[in-house]
Amino acid sequence: MNVVAEFCLVSCKVLWTFLIAGTRWFVRPKEKNVMGQVCVITGAGSGFGRHLAQEFARRGATLVLWDINRETNEETAHIVRKIYCDIWSPKGSVPGEVDDVTQIQPQVHTYQVDVSKREEVYLTADKVQCEVGNIEFLINSAGVFSGHHLLECPDDLLEHTMMVNCHAHFWTTKAFLPKMLEMNQGHIVTVASALGLFTTAGVEDYCASKLGAIGFHESLSHELKAVEKDGIKMTLVCPFLVDADMFKGCKIRKQSSPVFPPLEHEHCVQQAMRAILTEQPMICTPRSMYIASFMKTVLPFEAIVCMYQFFGADTYLYQSLTHQKDAMNNNDSKRFAIQEVTLERKEC
Amino acid sequence: MDLNNLGHALLFPFHMIFCILKSCLRLLIPSRRKDLRGEVVLITGGGRGIGRHLGKEFAKNGAKKVILWGRTERCLKETCEEISNTTEAECYYFLCDVANREEVYKQAKVVREKVGDVTILVNNAAVVHGKSLMDSDDDALMKTQHINTLGQFWTTKAFLPRMLELCHGHVVCINSILSLSSIPGAIDYCTSKASSLAFMESLTLGLLDCPGVGCTTVLPFHTNTDMFQGMRVRFPQLFPPLNPELVAQRTVDAVRTNTPFIYLPWTMRALVILKSFLPQAALEEIQRFAGCYTCMNTFKGRA
Repeated sequence: MNVVAEFCLVSCKVLWTFLIAGTRWFVRPKEKNVMGQVCVITGAGSGFGRHLAQEFARRGATLVLWDINRETNEETAHIVRKIYCDIWSPKGSVPGEVDDVTQIQPQVHTYQVDVSKREEVYLTADKVQCEVGNIEFLINSAGVFSGHHLLECPDDLLEHTMMVNCHAHFWTTKAFLPKMLEMNQGHIVTVASALGLFTTAGVEDYCASKLGAIGFHESLSHELKAVEKDGIKMTLVCPFLVDADMFKGCKIRKQSSPVFPPLEHEHCVQQAMRAILTEQPMICTPRSMYIASFMKTVLPFEAIVCMYQFFGADTYLYQSLTHQKDAMNNNDSKRFAIQEVTLERKEC
Repeated sequence: MDLNNLGHALLFPFHMIFCILKSCLRLLIPSRRKDLRGEVVLITGGGRGIGRHLGKEFAKNGAKKVILWGRTERCLKETCEEISNTTEAECYYFLCDVANREEVYKQAKVVREKVGDVTILVNNAAVVHGKSLMDSDDDALMKTQHINTLGQFWTTKAFLPRMLELCHGHVVCINSILSLSSIPGAIDYCTSKASSLAFMESLTLGLLDCPGVGCTTVLPFHTNTDMFQGMRVRFPQLFPPLNPELVAQRTVDAVRTNTPFIYLPWTMRALVILKSFLPQAALEEIQRFAGCYTCMNTFKGRA
């Protein structure tokens, strides 16, 4: 096609996308039904992963929970089973939906797996395929926070942060994507962090891992678009200061709290679920992150630093790092007790 | 809100305007360039490509010693000889694979003993596998992460402490525009460069407390070197590949003016701004039109 004609066509398409995006602000798209669909959530044992599991359970999805910590993973499973019981058992069913409930019995499956280990991921994914079936949702939520400045952080911890927060996405995606490609159906969700978009001082490894995950997500989106696999959706979730346990002790400066109020888990998870179920490509919470993200690209570096310093964003994690140090010194943190898991390859 | 915080809140817009005006002024008035005489520069991946030109450029700008790290002795030796013969700088080379943490620390110690304290560290070493995710070999994926991202952690850990002690130093990262605007067919590279960019951003913010130690991150567009051999841009007249010599010149200039982030060419900044507000679907249409979806189809890489 003539380049000029193609340029005109692309311009029209771009304007159209703006129109659609604008419409979404006013007319909320319908949320898709996930009842009976299989959803794999990594890092389901705590934090954002656990909350997402609860939300998917409320909507009747079958859950496959992955976490390195068997105990917390089972706790999440217990919560999910209770939700199934309350909402999806015959006595709790919504009038008029009895037929759906009797046909689809949502279930929860738990697997202990260290997502930083490639072979474990592949073996467990095979097990999931055999025991549960094809998956529709892959939610990469597992994350760790080393809590040390670069020069104080042991090298193994630096590497571990990268492997869990970023490299694990390679393995989980490679494990489940082939089937999604075959069926041209699926949804991959990357739970990154606003700290991938706005770095802060003193947490080089965490910021590196989160922007790496974002880079991976965007690259994969473009790859899927290039091969025209429109049935596979992708959503990037960038919450800010959500995981209270991971970032305990950190506070944004008081004067910025009207703009960046401390976020409730529920609010972030609700926003994320809405984005996932309406197939939105990206969601940042709070929404002011979008403006900040735009300002970051336009403003000169000095002005960005001024902005960061005003909001306390350049050092807000320092309080959390101090808390982490105390926790590590008191042997409170069991975060890096990596357990050896013996897996048997099950033949289907 | 107490009085102190109220004061800060009222002053904030003025402070922002002042910063913006200062930056605009800097565009018009040439900045003071720091002298590189006496500097000891270490360049990873210094044997070829942009690294080779960086070595020559730092030497031309007065660096006292240039140290090259790389994996191919022949390239390192050639570059070293060229620098020694054409400039007054002393040039040294050492074989070092930055993906190997222990080797980095060992060679860093050797450099300190044989050459001296490194005052400018240039993290330039990079590789690209250049395939889609499903076609990529797992080990190759990880190799890219280890060299492009983790390698920078180790080299920075090896040399930054001494820079902080001396309150004098500079950490440079040769990144890529692909860290902010990914393309299909280079998922390993885009992921690793994105990680590396955030690492440098965090480091830059952290080092604001130490005025003697600076950071510079360079984000060039497609550069005409062996690394991305075969990659074809759709409109080369509009977006010609960069000359590695130009990238090196602009990098050294950025170090001398303490510029923390630089896009090459400056039009790449427009791309990043567009990306921050365009809907995803619009971005995909534009990228497809610009040929980004097919540019890696002819990728060959280094022989």
